[in-house]
Formats: sequence, structure tokens, C-alpha cells
Amino acid sequence: MSVSTSASFEYLERLPGVTFRRLYQQPSTALAIFRRMLPHLAKTFVMALLYMTKPLPLTDLDSWVHPNSKRERDQALSLLSRLHIVTITAPSRDDPQTVSLTKNFGSSLRLALTGGGEHQSFGVPSHDVLANLDTSYLDDYARDQWEGILHYVVASVAENRGLGSQGPTASVKKLLEAGKLVTTGRHSGGGITQAGFSFLLQEVNAQVWTMLLLWIENAEHMDFDSVEVLSFLFMLGSLELGRAYSTSTLSESQRRMLTYLVDFGLVYVPPSASTQFYPTRLATTLTSDATALRSVSAGFEAALTAASGSKGFIIIETNYRLYAYTNSPLQIAVLALFTKLGTRYPNMVSGRITRESVARAISHGITSDQIISYLGTHAHPQLVKTSSANGNPVLPPTVVDQIRLWQIENERMKATPGFLFRDFENLKEYEACVRYADEIGVLTWKSDAKRMFFVTRHEQLRDYIKSRKTK
Amino acid sequence: MPRAIRGVLIECDPSIKSIIVQIDAEDHAYIVEELDDQTLVVKENMLTSLKMKLDEKLKATQIPVEESDLD
Repeated sequence: MSVSTSASFEYLERLPGVTFRRLYQQPSTALAIFRRMLPHLAKTFVMALLYMTKPLPLTDLDSWVHPNSKRERDQALSLLSRLHIVTITAPSRDDPQTVSLTKNFGSSLRLALTGGGEHQSFGVPSHDVLANLDTSYLDDYARDQWEGILHYVVASVAENRGLGSQGPTASVKKLLEAGKLVTTGRHSGGGITQAGFSFLLQEVNAQVWTMLLLWIENAEHMDFDSVEVLSFLFMLGSLELGRAYSTSTLSESQRRMLTYLVDFGLVYVPPSASTQFYPTRLATTLTSDATALRSVSAGFEAALTAASGSKGFIIIETNYRLYAYTNSPLQIAVLALFTKLGTRYPNMVSGRITRESVARAISHGITSDQIISYLGTHAHPQLVKTSSANGNPVLPPTVVDQIRLWQIENERMKATPGFLFRDFENLKEYEACVRYADEIGVLTWKSDAKRMFFVTRHEQLRDYIKSRKTK
Repeated sequence: MPRAIRGVLIECDPSIKSIIVQIDAEDHAYIVEELDDQTLVVKENMLTSLKMKLDEKLKATQIPVEESDLD
């Protein structure tokens, strides 16, 4: 699962139930959550429950699931109830537990799938289209805006601050500071932060989500309603690229939000017609499901690199030497995060990947996998060609292994925040709780001898222990 | 009634664990529970401080490897 999904997940799960009920009034939101956030089994449950008029006894649901997949079933159900998509009745002596879709989610998803209703939740296309706006223009626009933001983040490490472009707007700069991606303080090195480093190395979609979540958190202080903001974002994800949409159906705060989205390059508002907006590829890929996302974001990456010359530009040799055919300050600055750069020529920089340079990158919060995937995706076509001719992996395995080893060297301990459960009265109680924790996927460590175990979250387990007590 | 204690589960080599125990021995500000040779639970708010102390201790024990620079 991509970084962006888990980040937006965590944010959503923190929202109160009321917010969810209001969010699910929009069919586009229900559809976006359904296609982007749910694993396949959870989707199957939702589809099966969608046209069911009465709550389904939980035991009937169990019969759909293979007995060996109880763990997957519990994880799916727990996710569905955390996102307030299903309600499960509390266990009691008289009635069996039942499960049903929450009313708003069910009716919205039915509307989204089969159409109908005057909800205008998927945006209203505007008919007088400006002729000169094709998708490549929108891609260029989105890229310029987004690269401007990235440049600003990197510029705090790069030596030459003025890079020709004027950089992002003041509100974006403030947001980057609020999100601790950059600092303006001169102390502690100043400029880019650890979070900023890992932000740079994420794929574009994850970067967009990071920025948006930052923005949402800040928007709450600016009197924006998080429900309107979120439903607008989910709507953007369902719009069509290269199509004009009317701003007349948007609410007041959504129209205010539009100006911020223009800053990010998520939407384009033509200067001549401010009642229209065009979503860019950054916006339309927001809520695509995982597989579609990969190809679409690959398409976007291709669009990103097409303008800057060649696609791949990095050659790395088995002796850890690295040659990068680029003159882009952004790319050089990113390379400098984990490489010891030696010489710079007009069209190329050369350097080495050393234990020290990797250790420095890791201390900034960059992982070895991020470095490796960056090198892999930006490998020079020649490197790709020779390796595929010989049937070898693109990057020299020695280098890949060594970068991983350097990381392990620095990771002396693995830390997992959570809760330690102890002092169980008897073995039976302990075993039941451990099994339950394992099934809902929160168990990280257990010791049968000590009758203790460690879990990442405790709410459901607490309810479970309570329900055992009442029996 | 079982008890739940908030904390951070640390999984590491026995050697690292013994260093953590040694750090904790000064004022017992870190460890909540020692579980076994390779796992222990520490207080959540002390994690960064523990990491820093551990890095200091390790730096003192390690000799930096000389990098031959061929550039």
C-alpha cells in the first residue's frame, strides 16, 4: 500500500462519526473511499450488503468467508467500522450480532454506481470550452507549479537560491513551514528538515497527499469546514482531465479553497473565465485505486521528465561511482542528499555513494529503499539497456545490497509505539485475547510464558475484554 | 483484570539491550518492562532521549572506518 494511502487513512480515522455521516452524503466521497481505501474483501462485503434491506446476522457473513481467512475478515470488518461504513450491533444475549451499511454511505454509493439524483456531486461540466487548453498544457502547468514547490524545499539546501522562477506563493511557503518541511530559522542548519527530505523522495501522488493533509490541518484554523474540504477533494478525484467545470455549484468555502488548489497546481483557472476550473492530472489521480494509480502516476512522471530532457539520467557502477547527466538544480540537490558529489560539469555531475553519505541520508530520515527506488526509476537508458540485454537487474546488486547493509548498521533497534497487556487472570483469558489481537492485526509481540503481549492499538481489544467479562 | 500499559516496544540485539539497561540503571527513567533478551518496553516520551544516549554510547565504542577516496 502506498505511503499516501496510509497517511490519509490515519487522518480519516481520527475524524468523529458525525463528520463521516456528513461526508457520506456526497456520492463522490462514498465512491472515492470505496475504491481507494478498501481492500478487496471489504469491497466484497460492501457490495453484498449494498442492496440488502435488513441487517445481516454476523454469522451469515461468516459463511461467505473461508474459515482460514478469519483474520482477513476481521481486519476488513474492523476497517469498515472504523471508517463508519458499516455498523455492527453490540453483542447481547437476546439478539445475534448483525451488520449493515450506514444509511448515508449505502444510499450515496448506490447513487454513485447507478446514477440518478440531482446531487451534482461529480462536478458540473462547463460547456463553453476554451480551445487552447489541451491536456499537455495542463500537465505543463501542473508540473511548473509543483516543481516550483519542490524547488523551494530544495533551494534551502542548494547554494544558489534564486533559480529564475519566483517560487511558490506566500501561503504555500507558510504551509511548508507549518508542516515542518522547511524551517526559516538560521539555527540547526536552517532550511530543509528531515520531513522535507523524505517528502522530496516520495512519488508525486504521495507528495500531493502530504501537502493536502497539511493544508487540511491548517485549514481548520482558517475557518474551513473539514467536511466541505474533504468532499471537494474527493470530488476532484472523480473529475475528468482536460474538461472544464463550473464553479457555480461550489459552496463559498470551496470557492475560497480553489485559490489554494491553484497554488498547488491541482486545478487551473483560466484568467479569462474565472467561473471555470480545469482539474490537472495531480487532482484527477488523487483517489484512483492502487493499480490505476501506478500507471497514471508513471504517466505523470513521464510528463514531468519529458520537459527536462531525458527520462533517466543516472549511471551507477559496481564501484559505487555515480554519474548523473543532468543540469537541473532540483535533481542535483536531491542526489546530494545521499551521494558524495565530486565534480560538476556543464551537463553532468559525478560522485560516489559512500557509507558516510548514506548514513547522513538515513539520519535525515531517508530510507535505503527510497534511495534504491530513486536510483532505479531514474536510471540512465544505457544502464537499462545493457542490464536487460544481459538479463541483470538495472542497478548493480552489490550496490543495492551495500546500501541496505549500511542502513541496517544504523538501525540498532526497532521501536513500535503501543500498549503492553499483562496481568491476565488465567491462561484461557490470555489465549483468547492474544488470538483476538492477532486476528484484528494489531499484535506485534507476545510471550506465552509471561502471559504478556504488545499491541499497536487497544480500543477494540478493550471492548473485547469487556464483552468477555459480561458473558 | 488485565492491565494495559502505554509504551514503545523496542526490538534489538541482546548487546544493544544491555546498553539500554545500562543507560536506564542511572535513574530508571526509561524502561517500563524488560520482556526478554531482545525486547523491552520503554516510556513513549523518553524514546528520542534514549536514542540519543544510545548513539553517544555507540560512538564511543566504535572506531570509524577509513574511507579510501579515489575521486
